Amino acid sequence: MKKLLRAAAAAAVAALALTACGGGGGSGDPANVSPTGEIKPREISWLLSRPADGAVINIMKKLADDYAKDHPGFALNLITTPDRPSYIQKLETLAAANKLPELFDTDATPFAQQLAKQGKMVDAEKLLKSLDIYDDYRPGALDYQRFDDGSLYMIPFQFELEFIWYNKALLEKAGVSVPKSLDDIPAMCTALRDAGITPIALDGQDQWPLERYVAYQPFREAGPDFVQKLKKGEAKFTDPAGQKTVEWMAGLGKAKCFQDGFSAQGYSDAQNQFTSGQAAMYNIGTWELPSLATGKLNAAVRDDIDFFTLPATDGSVTSANEFVSPSGIGMAVNSKTYDPLVSDFLKFALEKYPAEYAATGALSPTTNVQTTIPANATPLYKKALDAANDLGDKQAMPWDTQLDPTTNGRLQQELVLLVQGNITPEQFTKTMDATIKQNAPKFFK
Amino acid sequence: MLPNRSRTSVLVFLLPPLLLYCAAVLFPILQSLFLSFFSWNGISDMEFVGLENYVRMLTADDIFWRSFFNALIYLAICLVLQLGGALVVASLLTSLRRGRELIKTLYLLPAVISTVAIAFLFVRVYSIDPVGLLNQVLHWIGLGSFERAWLSDVSTVLAAVSAPEGWRFTGLYMLIIYAALIAVPKELEEAAVLDGASKWTLFTKIRFPYIRPVWITTTIMATTYGLRGFDIPYLMTNGGPGQSSELLTTYMYKTAFTSTDFGYASTISVFIVIECLVAVGLILFMLKRKADS
Repeated sequence: MKKLLRAAAAAAVAALALTACGGGGGSGDPANVSPTGEIKPREISWLLSRPADGAVINIMKKLADDYAKDHPGFALNLITTPDRPSYIQKLETLAAANKLPELFDTDATPFAQQLAKQGKMVDAEKLLKSLDIYDDYRPGALDYQRFDDGSLYMIPFQFELEFIWYNKALLEKAGVSVPKSLDDIPAMCTALRDAGITPIALDGQDQWPLERYVAYQPFREAGPDFVQKLKKGEAKFTDPAGQKTVEWMAGLGKAKCFQDGFSAQGYSDAQNQFTSGQAAMYNIGTWELPSLATGKLNAAVRDDIDFFTLPATDGSVTSANEFVSPSGIGMAVNSKTYDPLVSDFLKFALEKYPAEYAATGALSPTTNVQTTIPANATPLYKKALDAANDLGDKQAMPWDTQLDPTTNGRLQQELVLLVQGNITPEQFTKTMDATIKQNAPKFFK
Repeated sequence: MLPNRSRTSVLVFLLPPLLLYCAAVLFPILQSLFLSFFSWNGISDMEFVGLENYVRMLTADDIFWRSFFNALIYLAICLVLQLGGALVVASLLTSLRRGRELIKTLYLLPAVISTVAIAFLFVRVYSIDPVGLLNQVLHWIGLGSFERAWLSDVSTVLAAVSAPEGWRFTGLYMLIIYAALIAVPKELEEAAVLDGASKWTLFTKIRFPYIRPVWITTTIMATTYGLRGFDIPYLMTNGGPGQSSELLTTYMYKTAFTSTDFGYASTISVFIVIECLVAVGLILFMLKRKADS
C-alpha cells in the first residue's frame, strides 16, 4: 500500500512539472515587442472566430506554409469557432484556465481590457511600430481595435463598412424615397407595410444586428462618447440621447419595420428575404459584397439593389460620412508565449498579408494596397469600396463590443421586447439603467 | 456472509466506479458549492463574499425567479407529454394485434435524432415567414386566426420550446411502460374481467398498481431530465424573446459563460442541485403515501 501511495505522489509531482513546462519560454512582458534570442520553430496556435473557408484563414494558412519552408518544424494551427457567442465562451473559459494560445481573436471588450491590464497581451501599437508597418494601417481600422484609454492590443485583419442596402423597385412601389434622416424610417416602414412589403429584413437570432440599431440615434445625437459614458453608468437611458433611441426603437417596432417573427430568424433567413425581393432594406457590411454586388446575386433583383449610408438627423453632431466601419474582430498576441519565433512569424505574415487580402476583393485594413474588383462584380461593388476613401474621423462603435457582458445580454433581450411592443419605453429605460448600475462597476473599476 | 477474500474482491471492484463517481459528480458539486461563496470572473482574484450571492439570487434577481417559474412550466409540459403520452400510447399498443413493432420504432425515432437537428426542425415547424408546418396546418383546417410567430410571441414561446423536448422522449418512456404493461399477468386481468370489471377499473386497480415501481422510476427520470432541460430551448430561442423561455439552466449557463460571473453561476447551480433532490424526494414521498394508503 505504501508503495502505491509513493507511486501516486510521484506521478502527481511529475504531472505538475510537465504542465509547468508546457507554458513556453516567453518573456511575459507586454511592452517587450522585440524579444532577443534564437528562433526555434515549433507549432503555434491561433484561436480565432472567422469563417472557416474565408479569405483571412486561407491567406494566413498559405503564409504559414511559406514561412515553414524556411523554418522546418513551424506550423500554424488555426482553431476557428465562427459562431461568435460560442467563441467568446471558449475564449473566456481558456482565459480563466490561463490556457490561451499564442494568438487569439477578441474585440475591444471590457473583458479583453482586463486581460490587457493584467499584462496578458502584447502591446500591439509598439509591435506594429517595431515592425515599421504601423503607419500603413487606416487610422479608423486601428481606432476600432482600441480600448477607451486609446491603448491598442489587437491587430485588425479586415476593414468593413456597414450600409443599409435597399431595393429601389420596392421603395418605388410603396412611393417612398431614400430616408434623409433616421427619423424618417418609421414612416417609411408604414408606407412599405401598406404596400404589402416587408420593410427591413433582420437576423434576430444572432441579436447583434438589432443591437446595431440602438447605437444609431445616440451616435448622431451625442457622438461616439455616449456609449462610452453609458457603459460606465456616467450616462443613462434617461438622458436625451438615450430617450431618443428608446423612443425610436419603439417607433420602429410600432411601424412593424422588421419581418414578422424576426427574433427566431437567422442570418441567412434575413439575407434571403432581401435577395429574393421580399424585403425592401437590409443592414449589413461590405463582407457581404460577394453575395450582394456580384453575379451571384439573384438576377431578378440585381439591377434594383443599391445602398445608402447611415442617415444623419437634424442637429446631428456626427456627419453623414461617419457610421459603423469596423475592422472586424482583432488578433491579440499572448505575452506569455511571445518569443522570437512568434515575433518573426508575425513580421513575415503581417507584411505580406495586405496584398494577398486585397487581391481577394476585400478592403485591407491598410492603405498601401489596392483592392482588386472581381470580374463578376456589379457597378455597386466599386461604389461600396470607394466609400472607404471618404470616411470621417469618428465611427459608430457596435455596442456589443462596448458594454459589459451582462448588460449586453440584458440589452439584447430587452430590445426584442421593446421592438415587439411587449414592454413600454419606460419599462425598458428603467430595466436597462438598473442593469448598468448593477453590473458596470464590476468591469470599469 | 461472504468469505473474507471475496469481500475484498468486491471492494476492489466497487472502488474504481465509486472513485470515478466522486470525481465526476460529487467533486464538481462540492466545487460549485465552494465557488458560490465567491465573486470571481475567471481572470480576476477570487473575492470571498459570504452569502451575498444567495441573497442576491433569492431577493434581488428578477430573471432568476422568472426562469425558475419558466422551468416549472417547462417541466409540467414535458411530464404531461412524456409520461401521459407514453402511458396512453403504451396502453393502446397492448390492445393492438398487429404492427406493434413498427409503431414502437416510429415513436422511438425522435429519441435517437440529434438534439440540434430537432431544434432546427422545430424552428421551421413554428416559423411564420416563410410559413411553417404548424401555421400551414392551422390555415388549412380553418383556424387561420391562430397563426402566429410561435417562437417570437412571449405568450406561446415557452410552450413551443417545451413541446419538442416532450415529444422527443415520449417514445422512450412509452417503451419502458409498455414493457411493464405486458408483464402484467394475464390471469389477473382475465379474472377481473370475469368479475365484471370495466376497462377503467382494470387499469386503475390492476394494471397501474402492478406497474407502479416502473412508473416511479420513469417519473423520477423524466422529472430530473426535465429540470435539467437545456439544449432545445437554448438552441431554439436562446431564452428569448426577453426572458420568456429562459430556464434556470440556460440562465446559469449564460451567467457563467457569457457574463463570466462564475461565483453567481455556481450559486444558481447549487440551487438546481437542491431543486432536483427536493423534486425526487417529493415524488418518492407522494407515491409511497399513495401506495401505503
